Amino acid sequence: MSKQQAIRKPSDERAFDFVVYVIAAIIIIIVLYPLLFIVSASFSDPSKVLNGDVWLLPKGVTLEAYKSILHNDKIWTGYRNTIVYTVVGTVINIIMTILAAYPLSRPDLPGRGAIMILITLTMFFGGGLIPTYLLVKELGMVNTMWALIVPGAIATYNLIVMRTYFQSSIPWELQEAAHMDGCSNWRLLFSIILPLSKPILAVMVLFYAVGHWNSYFAALIYIRDEALHPLQLVLREILMISQSAGIEGGSVGLEDQILLAESIKFAVIIVSTLPVLIMYPFVQRHFVKGVMIGSIKG
Amino acid sequence: MLRHWGRSALATMIVSGLILAGCSNNNGGSKTENQPSPASESAVKVEGFPIVEQPIKLKMFTRIAPANGPFKDMPVFQEYEKLSNIQVAFTEAPTDGFAEKKNLLFAANELPDALYRSELNPLETIRYGTAGQLIPLENLIEQYAPNLKNLMEQYPEIRSGITTPEGHIYSIPGIVTTGSARTDKRWINKAWLEKLNLEEPKTTDELYKVLLAFRDGDPNGNGKSDEIPMTARKAAAGIPIVNMMAGSFGLDLQLGYNINIEDGKINIWSSDEKHKELLMYLNKLYKEKLLDPEIFTHTEAQYLAKQGSGNTGLFFDQTNNNFLPIQDQYVGTAPPAGPHGDQMQSTVAPVPRDFGAFAITSVNKYPEATMRWIDYFYSDEGSTLLRFGREGENYELKDGMPYYKEDFLAITGAQGKMTPYAGGGAPHLISDKVASFINPPQVQEAFAKLEPYMPKIRYAAPMFDEGTAQKVNILRNDIDKYIDEQSTKFIVGALSFDKWEEFQATLKKMKIDELEQLYQEAYDKMEK
Amino acid sequence: MKSAQEGAAALSHIQPRRGNSLVRNIAKRYDLYLMLLLPIAWYLIFNYGPLYGLQIAFKNFNPAKGIFGSPWEGFGHFERFFNSYYFWRLLWNTVSINLFSLLIAFPVPIMLALIVNEIRSKTFSKWLQNITYIPHFISVVVIVGILNVFLSPTGPINMLIEAFGGTSVRFMEAAGWFKTIFISSNIWQNMGWQSIIYIAALSGVNPQLYEAAKMDGASRLRRIWHVSLPGIAPVIVILLILDIGHFMNVGFEKILLMQNNLNLESSDVISTFVYTTGILKGEYSYTAAIGLFNSVINLILLFMVNRFARKTSETSLW
Repeated sequence: MSKQQAIRKPSDERAFDFVVYVIAAIIIIIVLYPLLFIVSASFSDPSKVLNGDVWLLPKGVTLEAYKSILHNDKIWTGYRNTIVYTVVGTVINIIMTILAAYPLSRPDLPGRGAIMILITLTMFFGGGLIPTYLLVKELGMVNTMWALIVPGAIATYNLIVMRTYFQSSIPWELQEAAHMDGCSNWRLLFSIILPLSKPILAVMVLFYAVGHWNSYFAALIYIRDEALHPLQLVLREILMISQSAGIEGGSVGLEDQILLAESIKFAVIIVSTLPVLIMYPFVQRHFVKGVMIGSIKG
Repeated sequence: MLRHWGRSALATMIVSGLILAGCSNNNGGSKTENQPSPASESAVKVEGFPIVEQPIKLKMFTRIAPANGPFKDMPVFQEYEKLSNIQVAFTEAPTDGFAEKKNLLFAANELPDALYRSELNPLETIRYGTAGQLIPLENLIEQYAPNLKNLMEQYPEIRSGITTPEGHIYSIPGIVTTGSARTDKRWINKAWLEKLNLEEPKTTDELYKVLLAFRDGDPNGNGKSDEIPMTARKAAAGIPIVNMMAGSFGLDLQLGYNINIEDGKINIWSSDEKHKELLMYLNKLYKEKLLDPEIFTHTEAQYLAKQGSGNTGLFFDQTNNNFLPIQDQYVGTAPPAGPHGDQMQSTVAPVPRDFGAFAITSVNKYPEATMRWIDYFYSDEGSTLLRFGREGENYELKDGMPYYKEDFLAITGAQGKMTPYAGGGAPHLISDKVASFINPPQVQEAFAKLEPYMPKIRYAAPMFDEGTAQKVNILRNDIDKYIDEQSTKFIVGALSFDKWEEFQATLKKMKIDELEQLYQEAYDKMEK
Repeated sequence: MKSAQEGAAALSHIQPRRGNSLVRNIAKRYDLYLMLLLPIAWYLIFNYGPLYGLQIAFKNFNPAKGIFGSPWEGFGHFERFFNSYYFWRLLWNTVSINLFSLLIAFPVPIMLALIVNEIRSKTFSKWLQNITYIPHFISVVVIVGILNVFLSPTGPINMLIEAFGGTSVRFMEAAGWFKTIFISSNIWQNMGWQSIIYIAALSGVNPQLYEAAKMDGASRLRRIWHVSLPGIAPVIVILLILDIGHFMNVGFEKILLMQNNLNLESSDVISTFVYTTGILKGEYSYTAAIGLFNSVINLILLFMVNRFARKTSETSLW
């Protein structure tokens, strides 16, 4: 019997591998095709794209779109601002989220159920734009980058995900053992929990950073100074014009702009997305199997 | 209200160094005249420039369109500052999110001195006005706004369109006296007509036949049946093709709604037989592929691209700007006469076209000077400065009319950076005198064909009081959506005309009669 | 799974101690509370502080009068919403879109993560992850633009249909197609992004468990079923609970862009209604009332699933 198994297994495995690869290949094709379309469209004559002539390869190849982006100062200022907001914001996010998620992951923390409910409720009820604005204004943060960072210092969703990871992936016995050795909770957090949580930390950095990268609404409300505008605000302007329905008359200047916007929106997507795309492989590096096991044994 | 009052009074006392200002709290009706104006310190002249002898500063909140550059770099504001001695610092909010920011100003009480290009809607105007955050302007207009006053006398519909039921004016509109800027032209493909040996259609039946020929006659000569006989915009609300054809079926668009005024009686015509006839006509066109199949889905950009492609038989736009390279192919045409001989151009904006374009707030210490400042733009001279910038640099005069200079126009986007009129909604006068760019000869000719069919007077949407405005809002939310959705379905044939009575009954159930009554009352008040 | 059980076991032998002296337990863990100090202060200031704004749902909010100064309206805004001609259509579309999303879109990222986990070639696996991750960053404006091109009567999809002898379909104008297109394009856009969290969780699964299962002669499929899935079950359960907690919300931007009078029958949802009749017209109170209605339903659903999850599995929010 064991012999039979030994013979059967490899072919089974191969069939399984085959199926997995086929599915993966199909997924790649389905995802890749529209992406290629965007790239092609960004190099194409906008009227050809509007008329639906571009399907896969660029038609009427032109670099106009990229040229006009390179000459748009607003985009470069936006880039710089967004990078600053993303870095500073993410650092604060990570610190705050860890500080909340770790204690709440501890099954031995009296009152954690109540605190969790308190926190979860905030996902459902908010005071709305006006009271929040007044608060931010009282704190003197309007028209500074802090208005974009501090009110969003913790994303409850991320906090819950992180807590779940601490709870389910780090053996509680390990923590208890450390306690027996007289390890304080702070040391436990820094020298055992966090090193064991690299995958989730990496994901959190990604989630928060991308959140900052993509956010525009806070900037829309709190930032007046154009020099402080993040990239997404600049992009949104470009993207939204092409959507704006014709205002009857009087919008002469806008009509030119609409066609112009149409031509650069694909290029804009590419230019603005590249930095976040580069991030992922760095994050991926931390999804390494077997980290846990080594440290438990050690 | 009293609080703001006290604050501005206090500020004035400090500024002018007076221990006892002559202001008491009984600031009833004649508030503006009684305003503790700093007249003593910087006298506002009733006419002539500079407006004030001692320079003053004003803060204004404005919308900046994607096409615009910073307002402080615009020649109009630089030049006007020198002329008027009033320095304006603009807070610019992008179009996207502008409404939120505007409302936050009022909610957080961070008022600027004035709102410029503010797109206040009637409800906002009344709310902030009755709460005292916006000040009433009727007396200021009387004394300090000769140009505006003049226009209001010439076009009585301006006053009726901006005065609240209590008799106050809290905001000033953008005013358009150039007829051509108030309506979309009907651009028909002359090249195709000639090729197929056809006349410009004069009736809806002839139009149908012409469109058939456009569809089948291969006028673009490529051997494929890919011509778009007729197309129109897709709007966020309302159906432009219905509005454009409404006049041929005796349907007008008064008071900013689907309204005919018949002997002083308001008739919301959505459930009328005539409306049904119109929809049936459009349904026939749609079924036979004479209407662009994408008419209800295409984006603005796609629509503009269709104009420029030259592959369209008939479409609607105010100007010829979008198809300039092939402009000779097209010619403006008159509205066709309908089955009952109706022939009207119904899609005509009122003279006070852009409501709520400018308003003065209660924190403004110089309301008189501010009124004079804005009034200049309601003269041909001021409007020229606003729209055309500097003579010699941006424009030149030909026969006394300003025209953009060729080399200035050649720079892409330069116009948007130069003038706040690009992007729409700026508080100023658009008269024939300043319309050379939007009203070139071809557009003038197209307009001349429409003018005989325009309504004599176009009433703007009426000002309701706050409670009524709220009611109208609630009723119209459901009713408008229902009309739009069902009409579209009737046109494409997704809904058979057997259901017309059901359509009428549902409108009744949605209280369209009550809505009609509210409009009737508002109209009666206006006419008094 | 194992670790979760251990956690629970640990919890159970803590309970008696806890009963002895709550104060001592709290005092002993003062440093944990110290950690929580800053986050809780933040929650109180930035989330509970502005909560007074909720009252505008019951008022006729007038920005000029402020939140406290505006007159009370009671349940008027709620009644207006419930009495709206479109209420039932809005509710049905919102609920059905979310229901279909939960059934169809929720499992996809999990499957993708499992596939990524099963692929032996490191390079191929990385490519798969990196490519499926990209669409998340494309603005919905462009996504809808692409849908318009691909699904237009002359676009590639219809070409394909016609090549196989079918008749072309006006997808973007058909009410019957709206939900399918909306949900499947959402899957396309987000499966890679949403799978990240599962991939991270999978990397935390103890490799010894796989080895042990292999020793027992379990096939790959069985190993997925008995090791991988239980390993990430806590994450799946939590994300499911959180998703159900958003049951009444649908992002309005994409739907608004896809909406037209012809597909309104199935594309009219609460969030687009709020946007067009509330936000665009500056009706703060009405918007707040509808938002509150949604939140209350969401919260009830969340409490229900959370209770269910706590009873049937080891994982729950509290």
